[in-house]
Amino acid sequence: MKRLVLLLLALPLAAQIRTVTLPGKGAVVDLRIVLTTGAVKDPPGKSGLAKLTAAMIAGGGTKEMTYRQVVDAFFPLAASLGSQVDQEMTVFSGATHVDNLDAYYKLVRTMLLEPGWREDDFRRLKDQAINSLKVGLRGSNDEELGKEVLYSALYAGTPYGFYAQGAVGALESITIDDVKQYYKRHYTQSNLILGLAGGYPAPFLATMRKDFAALPEKDESPLPKITPANIEHSKAIIVEKKTDPVAFSLGYPIDVKRNDPDYAALLLMQSYFGPHRLSSGRLFQRIREIRGINYGDYAYIEYFPRGSGQFQPDPNIVRRNQIFQIWIRPVEAPTAVFSLRLAVYELNKLVQEGIPAEDFDRTKAFLTKYLDVLTSTKSSELGYAIDSLYYGIPAYGTYIKTAVAKLTREQVNAAIKKHLRPDRLQIVAVSDHAAALKAQILDEAPAPIKYNSPPPAEVLEEDKTVAKWKLGLRDEDIKIVPVAQVFQ
Amino acid sequence: MLGRILFLAWAAGALSTASAQTKTFPYAFTEQDLDNGLRLVTIPTDAPNLVSVYIVVQTGSRNEIEPGKTGFAHLFEHMMFRGTEKYPAKRYGEILQQAGAASNAYTGDDLTVYHTTFSKEDLPDILAMEADRFQNLKFTPEDLKTEAGAVLGEYNKNSSNPASKMNEVLRDTAFDRSTYQHTTMGFIADVRDMGNQYDYGVKFFDHYYRPEYTTIVVTGDIDPKVVKTLVEKSFGPWKRGTYHPDIPAEPTQEGPRENKIDWASPTLPMLNISFHGPAYSDSAKDAAALYLVSRLAFSQTSPLFQKLVVAEQKLDSVGASMPMKVDPYLFSISARLKNPADMEYAKAEILKTVESLKQDLLPADRLAAVKSRERYAFPLQLDNSDSVADAVAEFIALRRTPGTIDKYYEVLASLTPEDLRAAARKYLIESGRTIVTLKGPEAAK
Repeated sequence: MKRLVLLLLALPLAAQIRTVTLPGKGAVVDLRIVLTTGAVKDPPGKSGLAKLTAAMIAGGGTKEMTYRQVVDAFFPLAASLGSQVDQEMTVFSGATHVDNLDAYYKLVRTMLLEPGWREDDFRRLKDQAINSLKVGLRGSNDEELGKEVLYSALYAGTPYGFYAQGAVGALESITIDDVKQYYKRHYTQSNLILGLAGGYPAPFLATMRKDFAALPEKDESPLPKITPANIEHSKAIIVEKKTDPVAFSLGYPIDVKRNDPDYAALLLMQSYFGPHRLSSGRLFQRIREIRGINYGDYAYIEYFPRGSGQFQPDPNIVRRNQIFQIWIRPVEAPTAVFSLRLAVYELNKLVQEGIPAEDFDRTKAFLTKYLDVLTSTKSSELGYAIDSLYYGIPAYGTYIKTAVAKLTREQVNAAIKKHLRPDRLQIVAVSDHAAALKAQILDEAPAPIKYNSPPPAEVLEEDKTVAKWKLGLRDEDIKIVPVAQVFQ
Repeated sequence: MLGRILFLAWAAGALSTASAQTKTFPYAFTEQDLDNGLRLVTIPTDAPNLVSVYIVVQTGSRNEIEPGKTGFAHLFEHMMFRGTEKYPAKRYGEILQQAGAASNAYTGDDLTVYHTTFSKEDLPDILAMEADRFQNLKFTPEDLKTEAGAVLGEYNKNSSNPASKMNEVLRDTAFDRSTYQHTTMGFIADVRDMGNQYDYGVKFFDHYYRPEYTTIVVTGDIDPKVVKTLVEKSFGPWKRGTYHPDIPAEPTQEGPRENKIDWASPTLPMLNISFHGPAYSDSAKDAAALYLVSRLAFSQTSPLFQKLVVAEQKLDSVGASMPMKVDPYLFSISARLKNPADMEYAKAEILKTVESLKQDLLPADRLAAVKSRERYAFPLQLDNSDSVADAVAEFIALRRTPGTIDKYYEVLASLTPEDLRAAARKYLIESGRTIVTLKGPEAAK
């Protein structure tokens, strides 16, 4: 894999279709057709265009077939074509039994290269995109809502400040001609990466390359710069909506991607402080396990959409800029401010003291082994290989294992100190009683916690400090936004 | 120590064309019972260096028969992480971390599952630790109170989703005596009271966390003989229990029921039309037949979907389910509407489809298409050691053996259009029907 990636990087990019292959013996073939374009190329006022374009391809008809005929053709194969759109990448993915590869590929090829652009498909998919914002994100998932508002706030003024799945008004204004234009300009050979894994026959890749050479050669549009504004001191947004508990997300931009020298150190930090959906993290231990405040608490150094429903991140969500983020799952309203102070207190402790010596080697062992879990399906292995091609790094697992093996505790703690800032956080809360929550956040008086069952004495002692931990926000730092205005 | 070997099957090694046509579950497996009643299922799969251990306890919210104690199976799933004398919670977490493990647990109506995927070299340590917590779990009233807080947090996390509320109200309306009346989370009043139920917690563990309720499924880069020796050593001393719950049967519903939910936040209106259906079976036709009805009459390729979602675009989505459960459960059709004014229209269209299923035969070519789909769909989801164990766990809850998978799919493959119509005539009847609707405030329009 490593050799393959290096070889492909050496090829001139223009008019070259890049490929990533993981041939195997299994009877399943996985396909990932990736375009290095996404919401970052949405024109002003047309947020959601990249998403709608991909939706029209994966969820609409072709020139020759109506959507119904497409669905009928997929049905006996137990296959489908999924699409995923983020800022920098659009991916079409699926899997088929090798028995059905020809029939499956014929459909996929036609969908991608000869889209039907029908008005009725467009109306349906546009409604779906709008409803998934109004009803899905705003209406029924406070955790994801908080996370996405956090990203929008931190990247305000840059293309990443617009949610990749769009905004209601912008989606309403998009026409089918906009979609066709987007497709024409950005679905090009220069943006294309063909990914293939499993038991496909040897000549199959050449067929794909030949077919996809039908796309225009180059994407002439410039790639906009992503430079988030500097945060001088902590601030907060409270999204007001009818909901019982309070959800929090907080973060700070870090200019560290997979190909940066501090990436492995920060990944190790994440593995110690708040590994996703795992109980070993420091945040999980202190907030949930010892105090029973909520269901879970985690930390991230890469964008991880849909994290509330998944155990591992999806590949092919690459970014040119990332944030450090803490996710506090919903807490009961009376405990909200204490929980927030506790998370910031823990972050401060992490920055001041670093990873304790007794946890360091174990965290290293964890990360080294856990990499196998991240790439345990052929499809995820293929996805990670494509991401490595994008970032210009060797195969992810080997790359991280090698880097982690060399890391010392001092290096990791220095990277933590360098990149994390507990005093410069953007905080987002989703709450029913925004004004009251704002007053509580501003109030510097202690916010004690009442337990059903008191934790050990050392925790109660620590609570005294946590309860009065200063968040340092002023009245003008806290903005209240009604949910109906979010992603509107 | 090790009892008789119940079953030993060696199918074609990897997933292959031939196996897809003859066997739906493409892996060879071994199945063995210990003298204490514990069952071990081992399934080697192509997963370099990785092992998945799924410990399946055949106890779920279905077993919650005492009033005021709903949600206890799920609470217990949480309690199992509170530790033992030998491995306190912190030590337990450290060993998992050292193994690079992805570890979690879940509870359903019919099962509680503890699952861990990790590097194969750590298998002896992980099995020893798991055996210890299943035999020697130790928790105080304070631990139970703390964990009850986390469970309430989980309820809160789900509570912003109107679909969770639909599920709660549907079950509560459709069932009177069956324990499927409550969701796995439990009634909220019971969830809030859990912290005060220490004595019941101790009793629950004593009843159900016993070898005769438990099956260990190990998949991945394994040698079944080594796994057997390790399990024998660590789980062998576990004592068999004596408890058998008397789970009430649901009486026949005598007439149609309806319920309405007013949702406080903006949402699209939702509609659920359900009918009492059969329990899972790998020999009788009805459950499999209704499953195929759900796929043919309400999925993306169905005339109903094409009319209401694609052509008229009045619905945002529609689908149906016939979940596999130990006791009789519900055949459910759910829809999300774009406009509350269309509620009666959507209801009428869905009921018209239901009626037609009882009158007309579904076309043979569509039945062939759905059979082909099912034959490929099951093996396609088995793409790592974890997903193989996960798929098997669901069937363990039902029949305690992966052998039931091929039997079920054989029944499915044998079905005719007449079988589907007969099942519709028997189950999709007005007297067994429950309709639940949900609407948001005016602002939602």
